[in-house]
Amino acid sequence: MTIRSLCITAVAALSLAAGVAVAASYPEAPIVYDKPVKGVVFSHKTHVEKGLACDMCHNRLFEQQAKKAQENKDFVMESLYQGKYCGACHNGSLAFASNTRCATCHIGVKGEERSKTGGKTEKKGH
Amino acid sequence: MAHHHTTPSLNELVTGVANRLKTAGTGFYLMVFIAAAVVLASAGTGLMAMIKGHEAYYNVYREVPWGVLIATYVFFVVSSTGLCLISSIGHVFGVQDFMPIAKRSVFLSIATILSGFFVIAFEIKLPWRMAIWNVISPNLTSNIWWMGTLYGIYLAFMFAEYIFLLMNKHRPAVICGFSGSVAGIAAHSNLGAVFGLLMGRPYWQGPYMPIYFIASAMMTGCAVILFFHILGYKINKQEMSPEMQRALEVTTKIGILLITVILFFTTWKLIAGAAGQPAGAYPVVQSEVFGHHAFVFWFFEILLGMVGPLILFILSKGRNLKLMLIASLSMVIGIFVMRFNLVYLGQSLPVYYDLGVNEFKEMLHYAPSVYEWIITAGGFGLTALLFLIGEKVFDGHKVEDH
Amino acid sequence: MNKNIDLNNLQNEGVENVPMQERRDFLKMGLAITGIFAGGSLFSAVSTFNSAHASDFAKKYPYKPHYSMVMQQHRCIDCERCMDACVATNHVPKVHGAYRTTILEKETPDAVGGKREFIPILCNQCNLPQCTRVCPTKATYKDKTTGIVLMDIKKCIGCLTCQEGCPYNARYFNEEKKAVDKCNFCWDTRLSKGEKDTACAHACPADVRIFGDLSNQEDRVFKIVHQIEKAVWVLRPEAGTRPNVFYTKG
Repeated sequence: MTIRSLCITAVAALSLAAGVAVAASYPEAPIVYDKPVKGVVFSHKTHVEKGLACDMCHNRLFEQQAKKAQENKDFVMESLYQGKYCGACHNGSLAFASNTRCATCHIGVKGEERSKTGGKTEKKGH
Repeated sequence: MAHHHTTPSLNELVTGVANRLKTAGTGFYLMVFIAAAVVLASAGTGLMAMIKGHEAYYNVYREVPWGVLIATYVFFVVSSTGLCLISSIGHVFGVQDFMPIAKRSVFLSIATILSGFFVIAFEIKLPWRMAIWNVISPNLTSNIWWMGTLYGIYLAFMFAEYIFLLMNKHRPAVICGFSGSVAGIAAHSNLGAVFGLLMGRPYWQGPYMPIYFIASAMMTGCAVILFFHILGYKINKQEMSPEMQRALEVTTKIGILLITVILFFTTWKLIAGAAGQPAGAYPVVQSEVFGHHAFVFWFFEILLGMVGPLILFILSKGRNLKLMLIASLSMVIGIFVMRFNLVYLGQSLPVYYDLGVNEFKEMLHYAPSVYEWIITAGGFGLTALLFLIGEKVFDGHKVEDH
Repeated sequence: MNKNIDLNNLQNEGVENVPMQERRDFLKMGLAITGIFAGGSLFSAVSTFNSAHASDFAKKYPYKPHYSMVMQQHRCIDCERCMDACVATNHVPKVHGAYRTTILEKETPDAVGGKREFIPILCNQCNLPQCTRVCPTKATYKDKTTGIVLMDIKKCIGCLTCQEGCPYNARYFNEEKKAVDKCNFCWDTRLSKGEKDTACAHACPADVRIFGDLSNQEDRVFKIVHQIEKAVWVLRPEAGTRPNVFYTKG
C-alpha cells in the first residue's frame, strides 16, 4: 500500500465520520412545503446520502428554519428555472432539471396527508 | 277433493274462509304474527332510510352502489319467473303431471314478485319519480326500463290468470298464463341484460347473463314449488293426493335436470373467466374460487344451492317429502346467496383496477348493514305472510276438476 | 450482408428512441406507434391515419364546439386546486365519495427517475355513453347541441344503473340534490355563462388540464390530439365508449 492510498483512505474515513456527525444533526422527517402549492417534499436524508454538505444550501439558498422559503413571493417554479432555490442544482446538469419529473418532489395532497399520518393511506369505501 | 260445479255465493265463500281461519292452530297464528312483525319492521326501516337518505343506513357506496337489496330483488323476481315457468308446463302447455301445482304456484309467483317490488322500493332512492317518468320519459334502450315495464305487464297477467283459475275459467287462464310466461321471460332476461350489457363490467358482460337468468329462474322455481307445496300440506295437515305426489315427483326430476344445467353454466363461466386470464374478469374469478369470497361461493352457492340438493333430490327419488323439503330449503338459501354473489362480484373489481393506482389496487368489499338485512328479511316475511294467508283463504289451493 | 440477427436478445428500445423520420414514415402509413406503459396497456386514442388525413371532421366530432379535455399527465402534481375549484363552483357536497373530478396516484418505482404519477379523472363525456343508454327515464342524456352528458335531476329515480354502466367511476348519488351528480364540463356554472373553460382547467397551475374544442383545427386540444410525435391515449378504450378526455405525457 502506497503512502498515497493511505492518505486517501484516511481522508475517506474522516469524511465518513463527518458525514455521520452531519447525519445526526439534520431533520429526519422530510419537509413538506404547502405554498404556493400543496405537497412538495424535501428530504435531507436523500440529499445528505448523496454526499452533499450542509453549507452547499445553508444559508445561501435556504435558511435553516424549515419552510421559511415558502414565505417568499419568488418561491415559484420560474425562480427555480433561473437557478434560485432548488434550481441551483436541479438545472439538468448537477441534478435533474426542475422542469422535469414533476411528481418526484411534488408528492401532492395525498403525499402530504400520508406524511402527516405516518405513511398510512386513506382507506377507500367501507 | 271438493267438486264444485256451481260457483259458490259470496256468503258461502266468506263463511268458508272464516271457518278455516278459526280452525287454524296457534302455531299458524304465531307464524303469521312473526311474518307480519318482520314486514312492519322492514317497512319502517325502509321508510326511515327513504326519508333521511339511504347514505346513513346502507353500506353501499360510490364504487359498489348495488348491495343486498338488489340481490334480494333479483332473488324474488327469479323465484317468481321460475314459479310461473315451471307451473306453466302443466296448465298452459298441457302436461298433465304438472297440473296439480298450478294454483299454488301462480299464487306464489304473485306473492314473490310483490316481495321483490317491496324490497326494491327501498333500494331505489326515489321510487315515486319512477312512477311518473317511466311512463312519460321512457328510454327504450334501457334494460331497466324494459324490465320494469314488462314485470308490470307480467304481474297483471299473473293476477288475471289466478283469478281465472279461481273462477275455473280454463281458456282465459291459459291465455293469461301463456302471456304471463312470455312477459316473464322477456322481463327476466332483460334483468339479466341489465348486468350483461354493461360494457365496462367484464365479469357480467356478454349474452351469458340473460340466458343464465332464465335457466336459473327455472331451477329456482322447482325449489320454491317443492318447498311451499310440501310446507302447505304440513300446515293444512292434509293427505297428498296421488296426483299431487306425482306432480312433486316430476318437479323434483326437472329440478335435478336444472341444477345440472346451472352447474354446467357455472363451470363454463368460471373457465371462461380463467382461461387466458381476461382482464376485468380473472381477478374476480380468482377471488370467487380461491380468494376472499371463496367460502361464500363454495359453501352457499355450490354446496347448499346446488350439489347438496342434487344429492338429496336423487336420494329422495321424488317421493321422500322430508328429504325434498330439506333439499328445497337448502336450495332457497343457496340461491339467495348465489344472487348476492352475482351482484357483488361484478362490482368487486374497481373500474380502474388495471390502471394500477393506489386508490384502486385492491378488490372492493361490501357487507350489508343491519338496516339492509332488516329490509331483506321483510321481503321474506312478506312472502311468508302471503303464503300463510293464502293457504287458509284459498283452502290449500285445492285443484278443481275441469 | 451476412449478419445474423439474434431475435431472442433484441432489446426493446422504447418508442422514444425511434428516429423522428422513421416515426413520421411509420405514422404516415396510418399506424400509431404504441407502447406498453407500466401497469396498463395504452394505445393511441385516434387512428393517426384518420386524424392526419381525414377531411370529414364533422362526422368524427359531431358537435360545434366539440368540447374535449386533454390531460398532460406528466405535469400533474396533485395540488388538487382543480378539485377544490370544482367543489366550490359546482356545489359538490363535502362527504366521502362525493366528487366530480379527482386525482389518482400511481407509484412508478420501475420508471427511471420517476417515483409516481398523478392521473386526473372526470366524466369523459363519451360519444357513446353507457350511462345514457342504461338510464330508464332519460334523466341523464347526451345534449344534442353541446355533446355534454347532462343530468335532468327531476327525472332521476336513483336506481344507480348509470353508476354501474360508467367505466370511469364518474358518477355519485348527491343526497343534497336527490339525484345522481356528475361532471358536466361546468356547463351550467361556467360555459353557458360565456366562460371559455371549466373551473378545474382554469384553476390548474401546471397546465395539466387543457380544455377546448376538438372540432376546431386551431384549438390546442385539436393540435395535441392530432400531433404525431407523442402518444395520446384514452382510459378504458376497451369499454368502447369513445371518450372525449385524452391523456398524453412527455
